[in-house]
Amino acid sequence: MCHKYRFLGRVDETGKTVNYNVDEKIFVNTVHKNVSCRECHTYIKKVPHDPVSEQVNCGTQCHVTTPFSKERFSHGRIIEIYNGSAHAPRPDDSPELKEAKPDCKFCHLNPIYTKVEAEKIDFEASLRRCMNCHEEKGVTVAYEHMTHRLGRKTSRSPQEIVELCAKCHQDVELMKTFQVSERGLTAVETYNQSIHGKIVTLGGDDAADCISCHASDKLHDIYKKDDRRATVAEKNLRKTCAQCHEQTNSWFVQVAVHPTTEREENPIVFFINLSLRFALYGTVFSLVGLMLLETYGRKKHGIKFLLRNGTSWLGRAKQKDKK
Amino acid sequence: MPASTETAATTVEQAAPKDDYLTYVEGVGHIPRDIYKYVKSDPAGDLPRYSVHIVIQHFLVSTTFLVLAATGLPLHFSDVFWAPYLTALFGGVDTARYIHRIAAYIMMATAAYHLVVVTGGTIRKVLKNEFDYKRTQIPRPKDLFDMLHDIKYFLGFEPFRPKMEKFTYKQKLHYLAIIWGTTVLAVAGTALLFPDIVSKTIPEAIFKISPRAITDGGFPSLFQDIARLMHADEAVMALIVLAFWHLANVHIVPGRFPFQWTFLTGRITREHQIEEHFLEYIHNLSEIPEEKEYMKNLLKEKGFERPSTMPASPGEHPLESEAGPAKESTFEREES
Repeated sequence: MCHKYRFLGRVDETGKTVNYNVDEKIFVNTVHKNVSCRECHTYIKKVPHDPVSEQVNCGTQCHVTTPFSKERFSHGRIIEIYNGSAHAPRPDDSPELKEAKPDCKFCHLNPIYTKVEAEKIDFEASLRRCMNCHEEKGVTVAYEHMTHRLGRKTSRSPQEIVELCAKCHQDVELMKTFQVSERGLTAVETYNQSIHGKIVTLGGDDAADCISCHASDKLHDIYKKDDRRATVAEKNLRKTCAQCHEQTNSWFVQVAVHPTTEREENPIVFFINLSLRFALYGTVFSLVGLMLLETYGRKKHGIKFLLRNGTSWLGRAKQKDKK
Repeated sequence: MPASTETAATTVEQAAPKDDYLTYVEGVGHIPRDIYKYVKSDPAGDLPRYSVHIVIQHFLVSTTFLVLAATGLPLHFSDVFWAPYLTALFGGVDTARYIHRIAAYIMMATAAYHLVVVTGGTIRKVLKNEFDYKRTQIPRPKDLFDMLHDIKYFLGFEPFRPKMEKFTYKQKLHYLAIIWGTTVLAVAGTALLFPDIVSKTIPEAIFKISPRAITDGGFPSLFQDIARLMHADEAVMALIVLAFWHLANVHIVPGRFPFQWTFLTGRITREHQIEEHFLEYIHNLSEIPEEKEYMKNLLKEKGFERPSTMPASPGEHPLESEAGPAKESTFEREES
């Protein structure tokens, strides 16, 4: 009602101008277009409303009913998983850590529509994601119908996922304040050195991004490596890698996914890398040096650049030129 | 230092024996070492050097190498600005990776083709009793001495270049490097393409050979890391060496500029053959009658039939006085 006015806003206590306008044109294109305002903003009981003191809770049940189960829809179940994950705030967290941990809205900015071709959609995998919130009743048909009609998906590309995670995890200073392990500090950097990272950096679709390994289809169940529920926990690695690498075995899971050539962490690889570098520069410079020396020597002995009149040596070429 | 080098140079020139300068070939005569300065050459090549198989193999290897480099480099240097543009040329990184694999298979097939041709040719020559290991790529101590000799020549301490066979020390070095490089790239590339299989088979194979070898712990990870580093390093090295050394050597250095046709025609120019592959040229003389005739006539034309006219210093022999240097000196005198 009021929020449709473009300049609805106020100057807040700190002197910042805040705009409260909700652009209808943007809103009707979001995934929440069928949800009325008060279904999420439940604390608003009257108009004009009191100053807002609460945040939106995505776990609220709204009046949208799922077409097959006839139940009121809620993101509650996924929030339960999130609350168990490494990203959920804990009572014993420091205030800074609590502040830094991402809530729903940190990642889920609306809308993130990407055009996709229908044949490129992995229905199986996508549907498993749907089941995080929906019941398994006829959703398949509905989903296939919708994606077919819309040709759109709401998930991020691997590149965007890496960017999203890197937003915080690349910030070494921030991570240091939370006592993240050494490997964790350089996780983004080492990932980008790996073949997965390199492919994703260039916009590839079929290489693992962060959540391919660190989360299951539930997407929010990201735990620390030593948590036994984690997809990257030692006993779960084979299953995780097997999503792409079918021949996964006990040897393969030992291969570093976040490879490092740092001297302290991986001295053998560090020295191999160093000697390869020396071999490269040594070879190139000595060979090019030999070539230059050879050119100098042959030039001194009278060779010319062009092969003219049947010879490139001074002798006859000169004779013929003079004739 | 200058005094000592000077004496060294003069002693070398004086010590250069006569038969080192002149090579006697039955039915042709005494061929002076620097005859290459006076022969007539066709830029497209006068003498046979490579068979059609080698020309085809060179074509296949060079084109697949360029494709492999163009699809592989942006992946290795994925964070530099030109990488996305280069992969875009191949239809995105996912397509580029497939093209990289296809090109790799073609290159490996070419390597197999080369092995078949080389082995077959060797067997045929052995059966005909014509096989001479000196005319092959097999390295031997002479190559090392040739290199030292050549460096001395370039620095002016030797009057002539070494008498080399069909393949010089440079070419043998390059050939060995290609064998090593192709093997490394193929093995490491396999490890990168099938990490799950290779990480299992190699430790298991090692375990089978010696059960007490340390194959647990970080071995698969180490092997994979080495493969990852070596694949890229070998490729970058190959690219730099080919771009700055091989291309310069075959197309840019004096006498080869602006284009040497050997890799297309399989034939080498006469002056190049005599200068860098003197011993191979001597073989050519006995194998190609036309060449024998040409050289005989050339020696006659230049008045160089009788070796007795050969002066002690190569600078004063009849060929030199007849041609360039002598005329230059008279020209200088006139001016002064």
